[in-house]
Amino acid sequence: MEIAANITLSALAQQFLVGLSRTTILFIVSSGLSLVLGVLRIPNVAHGSLYMLGAFLCYSISLFFGGGSTGFWMALVLAPLCVALISLAVERGLFCHLYDREHLMLLLFTFSFMLLFKDLVKLVWGSDYRSLSAPEILQGSFSVLGMPFPRYNLFLLVLGPLVALGLWFLTNKTKIGKIARAAAVDREMVAAVGINVSWVFAAVFVIGCFLAGLGGALVAPTQNITQGMDHTLIMETFLIVIIGGLGNIWGALLGALIFGLTDSMGVLIWPQFAIVFPYVAVVIVLMFRPKGLLKATW
Amino acid sequence: MRKISWVIICVGFFLGLLAFGGTALAADPIKVGIVDSYSGPPSTYTNDVKDGFKLAIDKINAGGGVLGRQITFVTRDDKFKVDLGLSAAKELVMREKVDLLMGTINSAVALAISDFAKKEKVPFLATYSKTANLTGSKGHKYVFSMNENTEMAGKAAAVGLAKLPYVNYWIAGDDYEYGHAIADGVWNNLKKLKPDVKLLGQSWWKVGEPDFTPYITSILSAKPDAVIIATGGAGCVPFLKAAKATGFNEKSPFFMHTSTELSTLRPLGVDAPEGVIGTSNYYFYFPETPENKAFVEEFQKAYGRYPSFGSLIGWFTGQFIAKAYEKAGKVDPEKFAEALSGMTIDSPIGKLTIRAEDNQVMLPMFMGKTKKKDGFDFLIATDIVTIPAADLMPLVEDIKKAREKEK
Repeated sequence: MEIAANITLSALAQQFLVGLSRTTILFIVSSGLSLVLGVLRIPNVAHGSLYMLGAFLCYSISLFFGGGSTGFWMALVLAPLCVALISLAVERGLFCHLYDREHLMLLLFTFSFMLLFKDLVKLVWGSDYRSLSAPEILQGSFSVLGMPFPRYNLFLLVLGPLVALGLWFLTNKTKIGKIARAAAVDREMVAAVGINVSWVFAAVFVIGCFLAGLGGALVAPTQNITQGMDHTLIMETFLIVIIGGLGNIWGALLGALIFGLTDSMGVLIWPQFAIVFPYVAVVIVLMFRPKGLLKATW
Repeated sequence: MRKISWVIICVGFFLGLLAFGGTALAADPIKVGIVDSYSGPPSTYTNDVKDGFKLAIDKINAGGGVLGRQITFVTRDDKFKVDLGLSAAKELVMREKVDLLMGTINSAVALAISDFAKKEKVPFLATYSKTANLTGSKGHKYVFSMNENTEMAGKAAAVGLAKLPYVNYWIAGDDYEYGHAIADGVWNNLKKLKPDVKLLGQSWWKVGEPDFTPYITSILSAKPDAVIIATGGAGCVPFLKAAKATGFNEKSPFFMHTSTELSTLRPLGVDAPEGVIGTSNYYFYFPETPENKAFVEEFQKAYGRYPSFGSLIGWFTGQFIAKAYEKAGKVDPEKFAEALSGMTIDSPIGKLTIRAEDNQVMLPMFMGKTKKKDGFDFLIATDIVTIPAADLMPLVEDIKKAREKEK
């Protein structure tokens, strides 16, 4: 049994759709990472921990509102906001004093936060597996070309472009976005024209972390909410950000598409060795474009 | 002022001496050293083992202990890492002077500790690792397996699946030792029992794969009669979630070894997919015997939750230890190992024997299907079939051959 004989057109289309919905999560989380990386120059290793925190908060908030549909929708809104609040406190209390340090210091600092968050999650939620149900309207699946497609994945497919649109609007059409883009290029110049860069940085950091929390809340109904759920994801998002171009949000979108689609198509085409497909794609991209597909802000 | 404090220190010192002398006069407790993974996701299982063990020895101690001595235990966290587990075992034997070792859920750690136990001649009772090598090719006098292993699970599943009408199978699982071992175990035995089965294809995902939807849709497009899912631990819950979301359980019957276990079904609540075929060594609601009911009640009273299979392992390990020391007549590692090998005790799931040939505990397996049931806020297994231990134990000749090869 080598290459599967089940590659029909409907299977390909189906697999493409499933891959796209996975891309959504990858994009949401890695765009946050990329934003922080591009503007603040912080390689935030704790980004995955915030994603995990988002999932756990989504679980608890949902239960607090009595579970079910209401609980889930409330949690989906509130959990990322809570993550954003936590990140605001961290940024104002600690990070904002450290922007002048070298990257290695910042990396170590965020690494320590990864460990802290891990233990925090263990203290608060323990080590049991947690699980959350999707709201009733998004449960089950419907048929696409004779194949089942989960409703929740459709919801993700709708949400992904909305988040991308929101980010585009934020970075291109708002004042804070324009300042942030300028600051990413030349931080001192922006400060020199009398703009309080510190608060712009805080805002960007919080938005980036909000996206991590949103990603976590969104996967909560489809996954095991458990310690360690951040490990694979943080690695994947870093790869995505690297192949997309450091700090470039659209690079993150492109990277997430490459990663998510090669992953799901690989599963169909060569299921026994599906694991390697996205990584092979990463290697190929880096061989031809060592600095990433789109222009890096670094 | 200064004089008074000197007096206090002297008195304190003297009292301390007395206290030490006091304990030396009473019989030393029998000390068990437990090395296990107490941090991270595996602790769901390992804490159950520890709590079950504590429940058993508390009762034994309350009744006067063994050979007039109490049983105590100390725990060490191996953090799921071989080096930490091995150094913890060494520390427990050298410094804490434990009489025997217990643990661990990580197969690689268990094999490393077993090697150490063999050299030091310290009995080691492996509680939750599922590697067949422990009592198979790498077995020895001082190592005992208190859990099923991948070969037994595979054989049991094959016996159950052979009775079902499916021919075309697909295999999918975790791409690491446990996944492949379970899959090979099921498939090789199934082929022997039912030669006309066919393998349409296989999918392997990385450990910790978060989203199984693409795997399920690709399997469904191959239209197998049934699917064997070889995933364990943290993969079970998200797999069942994805199965429910895609309606996998309604479109294609699938077997997953631990799918009906309490630790898998409880977190999912009533949202777990129905009709999933799974095997487990223990259900707190089956068999419905007075012994099992009494155990469940006792465990619930002590910890406020249902006992899982891990709790049962901990409990009967405690019983085995006490009975083996009683039979040995003194606390001596060699005598203990000889006494424990071939020993039979009563348990909530009937009589349990440690097979003398390989020191593997003979556990029956229960195969059932997930179903919603009134009165439970999670799914339970129904239509339970018992597969007796004798049908699923690895053959003694095979073990002898494997051990010969190892030398």
